[in-house]
Amino acid sequence: MSRIGIFILNRIGIIAWCLFASASLCRAEKPSQSSELPLLANAREVGRSKSALLASVSRKETSPPAGPPAANLADFKQHVAPVLTKTCVACHGPEKTKGKFRIDTLDPDLMQGGDGEWWLEVLDVLSNGEMPPEDADVELADADLSKVIEWLGPEIQKASTVQRSEGSHSSFRRMARYEYSYALQDLLGLPYSLADRLPPETASEDGFKNSSEMLQMSAMQFETYREIGLKALKHATVRGERPKMDVYRLPLQEEAFSAINNENIGEIHPLNLKAKKGEKAKKDVSLDKRNHSVKLNLSNHLPDEGIMRVTVRAGRSTMNADEYASLRLIFSAHTSNNANFSQVVSARDLPVTASADKPQFIHFDIPLSEIQRNPFRNNEEKFPRRDEFLTIQYSSSTRNKEPLGVLVDFIEISAPFHEQWPPKTHRDIFIESKNKSDEQVYGREVLTQFMERAWRRPVTTKEVDPFVALFIEYRLDFTDLEEAMLEVLATVLATPEFLYLAQQISVNHSENSNTISDMELASRLSFFLWSSIPDKELLEIARKGKLSDATVLASQVKRMLADSRSNRFSQNFVQQWLGMDALESVTHVNDRSLKEAMEEEPIAFFKEVLNRNSSVMDFIHSDYTVVNERLANHYKIRDVYGPHFRKVLIKPEMNRGGILTGAAILTMNSDGEDSNPLQRGVWMLERILHDPPPPPPPNVPEVDLTDPKILQMTLKERIADHRNKPACISCHAKIDPWGIAFENYDALGVYRTKIKNKPVDATSALFNKQELAGMDGLKRYLLAERQDQFSRAIVHKMTAYALGRPLSFSDRAEIDSLALQFRKKGDRLGDLIQLIIHSSIFNSK
Amino acid sequence: MMNNKAESLNRRKFLRGTGVALALPWFETFAANESKRDPAPKRFVSIYHPDGVGLPVKADPAWKDWSWFPRGGEKDFELTKVLDVLEPLRREITIYSGLSHPAARTVHGHSNADQYLTGAATGGHGSYKNSVSLDQVYAAHAGEFTRHSSLVMSTNGGVGGPRGAQTQSYNREGRPIPALNNPKQIFDMLFVTSGKDAAAKLARSKSALDLLIGNTRSFGRRLSKHDQETLQQYLDAVRDTEVKLEKARKWIDTPVPKVDTRHLTLDADPKEARLYFKTMYELIYLSFLSDSTRVATFQLGRENGGGQHNLLSKAVGLGNAHALTHAVKKPKGWENLGTYNRYQAEEFGRFVQKLKDTSEPSGQGNLLDNTFAMHGSASSSFHLSRNYPIISAGGKNLGFENGRYLKFGEGNEDNQAGAGIVTDRGWQGKVEAEELPLSRLFITVLQRLGVEAESFGGITGTLGRV
Repeated sequence: MSRIGIFILNRIGIIAWCLFASASLCRAEKPSQSSELPLLANAREVGRSKSALLASVSRKETSPPAGPPAANLADFKQHVAPVLTKTCVACHGPEKTKGKFRIDTLDPDLMQGGDGEWWLEVLDVLSNGEMPPEDADVELADADLSKVIEWLGPEIQKASTVQRSEGSHSSFRRMARYEYSYALQDLLGLPYSLADRLPPETASEDGFKNSSEMLQMSAMQFETYREIGLKALKHATVRGERPKMDVYRLPLQEEAFSAINNENIGEIHPLNLKAKKGEKAKKDVSLDKRNHSVKLNLSNHLPDEGIMRVTVRAGRSTMNADEYASLRLIFSAHTSNNANFSQVVSARDLPVTASADKPQFIHFDIPLSEIQRNPFRNNEEKFPRRDEFLTIQYSSSTRNKEPLGVLVDFIEISAPFHEQWPPKTHRDIFIESKNKSDEQVYGREVLTQFMERAWRRPVTTKEVDPFVALFIEYRLDFTDLEEAMLEVLATVLATPEFLYLAQQISVNHSENSNTISDMELASRLSFFLWSSIPDKELLEIARKGKLSDATVLASQVKRMLADSRSNRFSQNFVQQWLGMDALESVTHVNDRSLKEAMEEEPIAFFKEVLNRNSSVMDFIHSDYTVVNERLANHYKIRDVYGPHFRKVLIKPEMNRGGILTGAAILTMNSDGEDSNPLQRGVWMLERILHDPPPPPPPNVPEVDLTDPKILQMTLKERIADHRNKPACISCHAKIDPWGIAFENYDALGVYRTKIKNKPVDATSALFNKQELAGMDGLKRYLLAERQDQFSRAIVHKMTAYALGRPLSFSDRAEIDSLALQFRKKGDRLGDLIQLIIHSSIFNSK
Repeated sequence: MMNNKAESLNRRKFLRGTGVALALPWFETFAANESKRDPAPKRFVSIYHPDGVGLPVKADPAWKDWSWFPRGGEKDFELTKVLDVLEPLRREITIYSGLSHPAARTVHGHSNADQYLTGAATGGHGSYKNSVSLDQVYAAHAGEFTRHSSLVMSTNGGVGGPRGAQTQSYNREGRPIPALNNPKQIFDMLFVTSGKDAAAKLARSKSALDLLIGNTRSFGRRLSKHDQETLQQYLDAVRDTEVKLEKARKWIDTPVPKVDTRHLTLDADPKEARLYFKTMYELIYLSFLSDSTRVATFQLGRENGGGQHNLLSKAVGLGNAHALTHAVKKPKGWENLGTYNRYQAEEFGRFVQKLKDTSEPSGQGNLLDNTFAMHGSASSSFHLSRNYPIISAGGKNLGFENGRYLKFGEGNEDNQAGAGIVTDRGWQGKVEAEELPLSRLFITVLQRLGVEAESFGGITGTLGRV
């Protein structure tokens, strides 16, 4: 049990995966040869039929004993201790202490003793068939294993229940940076993020950035919240008369028309296609055929703040259904020699779908204060140059003889652009009221409705009082109400009731004191599925006390998943679960569109599984993949056109399916030149199997590349050589085989059969002597033998994310029950979300 | 608006520009040190000049007199005509060669002012990101002891553009801090009482914090014990902010130091470059002497010229300063560039001499002994972002041993790598000579200033021999 020693100390909360209520062996599967594994096509079915977890369904649940549970020391003494003494103590006892772990000193009282997490490890290695090792002198007979598990399982469950009632981890936490950003956008109706100034979050052991124990607060963080809050409020509100807009217009047609309401136009700046009279070589528009773009010189008339609306009327030159065209905006300046910059400012590319004879209007809204501007634009001197440029770039996938082009016949740029005056964002804060003339009354009204949305609950008069007092105090400093009020509202945005997700203790000590309130449930739900605050509908239902009703709750979850805000869930959960940040730090992907497609694939795949409520086993392997054109090219899948992701059925020889073969996963676990089997192995264990390996010891010998013998070895040989060093073998034997199985995929995730003219050897043997023949073998093994482990892993990960806290020993009973229900219902992703939301763990403090 | 626009803009500008202890990063880390105000303030100042220096090839007749780098060894070095004005200060200065920022070795010299004090990979085109500058790391450490955490100045003022910086200072987020360029405005900021406005703003903040503390307390009462402990962190953050406010308020109430203005020409303009430089240096000197700040940066001009920069060489009777670097192969070209660099060294020398001649108010040596003063550029030869020409002065009490010419790296005998180039092939050329990261010097400087820095700009480790 050599890994345990280092391992356990580095994990805060661990959950080992094994069934304990069952008399049947939960040992996963005796090692078998690859040839005995079922084929990929029916591995899933075979694996399900072998599930120990499902086999336990028929057994009756043991009813919880009355009174506080006590340790079953009698059974331990009589049945378990003899087995452990016979089997384990030789290596993990006073004589030898492999992995610095002694089993004979563990306290068998899991309720009172402090060794609960060690016992979990024992259960883990026994059930995964890792102990005793194949080459050990002892064997553990199935009957003996049963004895250990029949005792250990219930003991862990009891201890977990006891700990849970004492409440060790809490979901009380501040919002993560991305949640704060969404919350501010949803609260104020701003379509862009202002939270970039906040420091990035550190991920938890499970990879999550919304984990309570990692979300710290400091004076710097607090001050940044105050600054961002006030800034966001200023962006959402306006003062004074409606400002006139400056308009740039490039009329490419005879008829003069405008896409905007004429009343508010201030200055009009025609954009000249040709040089102006008397100004040599000065024109405002330049066409760049190579880059498919038109670059407009906007001079220095754009205001410092407000929205710049760019309207383009465009149509496609051809209408082939398998070709796509889209537009993007780039903002730039060239202030002096070699002092230039450019930045894509459109949040995403917008598609051109209309035909040239019936062109469409395409709008982009760009917040001028949030993009890199030319700092010299307001100077009096002409040098450094003061002008700013907007480039409209089109990209298309064209494969026909007659290439697809985009015809633009009208461009109009207006700023500051306001759809209405005052804008909706303003009126949502400074609400209409008959009391507007009475500042104190009106101030209270504004504050009350703002606080209820920010705090996500009804507020009392008493709670509003201090804010009204602050408003009265501030009012003296300012000439108008709005300006004073914004500073008070900024203070609301700095309160812990906005920044934190809380579960308050019940005022009346009723029997359900551990259950969260409906209002709290609304917040927990929306932060889970929307990464943000609840909307009005959710709050209203919660306020009426109906949200905890199972039917209402289920239909709200359905509504929320159908809302576009749930894309945030897919994105953030998948990115954090799979550790996608790592893709940001690789340097060997030079093609931007490829990198973007790589990043999107696992998210798109997840959405596909979620929307169809398919089995999560699809993540291991599926007979389809979810790709766009760029990624399909990368995977050599034909006939996929356009930038959007969609489900594509694939054949086995394409060597894809599931997320393990996704280019992002393979690329981020590479070192720039070649695959990195070690990293891929670690990734598998951490992210998919939830069995993270211990961190490397401090004195790892480097692979000596100056040794000519080593230099000649293949990567796999080198790894084997390294692994055989005594300091390394115990960990690497557990990690490497998983990664070696990925060797048919190169540093960009392209399938290969040769490495430097030698055939790829992707065959490896796991610690338990199970042979894995490449990716196919790996998938077959996972599906045939590790379904229970993977289901539990995803239940664990999803629950940790949903709760925003690490799970621990005390959550084990709940997670096990969730995993069982999940497997029973067919491992479906959509079901899992409903199960978690309806579980008692999600509804508890 | 509470007052007229121009005034509040100005205030905002200098609040931001000098960070009047309102939003100092890492402040909390050092708050504990507050009680032990160290008696001899440690100071840092960096002067940056764009466009590099003259570096003719050895075969060129101009090499003897007008090559910037000294000749000879560590102690017996010999200054050429470019730096001979520093001969009287020989024992107070150190000259470096073979240092540069690895991340920027292949960017065009015109983009160099951005990365000199940050070491960031600011690149040549496309989107742009910088990182914190050396002076601001120290300002975060020392800023709490003084009214102004730092003094950021340049001849052209403002922030400039990406890859065309007009400031040497970048905050924790890598955003440029606007530089001041008007002596009168700088003087007023340093030595004329700041207005009611700041006081009113602080008062409002104080009320908001009081409210938040009250609100947090009542909120906390409805939480479990465990969660109350978590919430304590928030409460501590609010309290820390309150302490900072108190300090800021104390500075408002503290009278500004009285300074004799008779010798100052506060309306000096870059058109009269000599007077202007002198005045700006004098302002740094006065701010150090009065302990108004311990950190200053000053950028002389901007890369690629433009604006006030072009006027600076008028001080030595030469035309457009930037054009001098392009005209080195013209008759007297090296001499003209050398003369301009000589003038920069001369003004720096005057400032150093003044620090040396002034006793430390606390009695520990002179101002120079407790100040690390740097003068340099991120280009050596034409547009070449390698082998930065750097002079440092002072810092005896910080552990710097001067009177030396320190050559680092290898394969650059007599600083000939990249010498004599006048085309853009030079800066794009292969890096042949081996140089050491300048950030190592920065880390040494930070450590001697009392900052526990291990790495800077992605580089770890200190510089030997310094």
